[in-house]
Amino acid sequence: MKVQEFTKGLVKKNPVLVLALGLCPTLAITTRVENALGMAFSFAFVLIFSNLLISAIKGFIPKDVRIPTFIVIIASFVTIIDLFIHGYSPSLYEQLGIFLPLITVNCIILGRAEAFASKRPLGETLLDTAGMSAGFALIIVLISGIREFFGTGGIVIFGHQFLPFILSSPATGMILPPGAFLVMGILLAMLKKMGVV
Amino acid sequence: MENLLSIVIAAVFINNIVLTKFLGLCPFFGVSTRVRNALMMGLAVTFVMSCASILTWLIYEYLLIPFEIEYMRIVAFILVIASFVQLVEIVIRKTLPDLYRAFGIYLPLITTNCAILGVTLINVEVESYSFVASAVNGLATGLGFSLALFMMAGMRERLEISEQPVSFRGLPIAFITASLLALAFQGFSGMVE
Amino acid sequence: MSAKPVVVLTATCLVWGVLLGITHVLTKDKIVEAERAEINKVLSEIFPSASFVEENGYYRCIENGKLVGYAAIVEGAGYGGKMKVAVGIYVDNTIRGVRVVSHSETPGLGSRVAEDEFLKQFEGKTLERVWLKSDGGDIDAITGATISSRAVVEAVRKGMEELARRFSL
Repeated sequence: MKVQEFTKGLVKKNPVLVLALGLCPTLAITTRVENALGMAFSFAFVLIFSNLLISAIKGFIPKDVRIPTFIVIIASFVTIIDLFIHGYSPSLYEQLGIFLPLITVNCIILGRAEAFASKRPLGETLLDTAGMSAGFALIIVLISGIREFFGTGGIVIFGHQFLPFILSSPATGMILPPGAFLVMGILLAMLKKMGVV
Repeated sequence: MENLLSIVIAAVFINNIVLTKFLGLCPFFGVSTRVRNALMMGLAVTFVMSCASILTWLIYEYLLIPFEIEYMRIVAFILVIASFVQLVEIVIRKTLPDLYRAFGIYLPLITTNCAILGVTLINVEVESYSFVASAVNGLATGLGFSLALFMMAGMRERLEISEQPVSFRGLPIAFITASLLALAFQGFSGMVE
Repeated sequence: MSAKPVVVLTATCLVWGVLLGITHVLTKDKIVEAERAEINKVLSEIFPSASFVEENGYYRCIENGKLVGYAAIVEGAGYGGKMKVAVGIYVDNTIRGVRVVSHSETPGLGSRVAEDEFLKQFEGKTLERVWLKSDGGDIDAITGATISSRAVVEAVRKGMEELARRFSL
């Protein structure tokens, strides 16, 4: 068991930046930091538990039907988190909208199942998926922070103003679709310049 | 909201699935380097999206609702889409080998294209469309996806031969281009009430 | 081809079908309860000390055993998509208060229709005055967000008309 299995997900093999996977939620729900946190949590739940289960039963899954089996397992975990969030946090449920069920088709999850969990033992799978979840969370919280700050002038988390100052004339465009693409493009270019990706 | 024309205009321009709803971004950036490939992908997605809208609507209405198991929609829909794509792949490979050579590589990618599952969920859940409206929405959304992909590919082909800062080459400049496209599409919003 | 793949896939689907069924039963009441709590919260903002009796999606508002008004939650079509608006009226069909329950308007622009400053204008108005000023009524539209403002106005009108029909006001 190695720590690298965890840390590689943060930067070196970050699922969003390096592998360019899971772009849809990365851009769609990052209008507010609060939504990004909710998404990061739901995503981590589905990724970690579905991959742990896949790793645990990998010996029983015939090769021909492994993809459908993975999809059923992933979709089921998504349904579970969908029902719980609907019941316990209706406002978050409304904010995430269809991007909650769409975690099912997030390529990161199926990708990790196919490339990692279906071949490796439980411990390594846990580290790998935890690292990928953290990497995903890092990026969407960063992007939503930038967009919410420049787009609305401040960052509000659970009703509290998070920053000690606010921007007097925010640029609404940042929380509109063009802003999402723009932030992502500039972020990627900066990371490329710094030699990270 | 049963006006079919307004559904079409909304799906293609105002609520363009890629540029305002952020669905189907993986193929949007992955397959938009050549106009030819973009058109092929667009056609394949439009076809699958229309059929998936029809199939999932029928399943939702006549299977999930009567048994009161609407919560199974995510599992049911993704299985329907995956099996349908698989079926199309087999049929095309057996009957139209030429077409298969052109489309073959795009089909497996479509299963995990979130735009397909997204549209089927929007049809039954968000908009509660009727059967005809769902089918039309599926087709029109596919066309909107093709349009966005086609425009993007056209621009990226030009970008490739033009000078650009080293750090922006590749994906970063593609995102900036998409940003400008999305900005242009913002102009459509509010066109249909 | 062996039967194993079919058996495994069927078994997976069956097991998960049962597990999801259990989750559904566990969360079902909670979901209904959460939805009801949300509606109650919005209605209580309009009628702070009343209790609400539902009647096919409309509400009678009762304060100290006395009927003080009616409320409805209506859907309207805004600039960015659907919006849900709660309308509370007195028994004489003038508006007690209006709240925007949910919307998908442009943040910072159309989203301002959910703010008090805009919604306060509705208070005390009768149906014939509920139009935008540019359409001959009393409501000031939010600058740059006429479509969103009109959407709220239309939703309020719809709610008032439905309540009037329902409770024959």
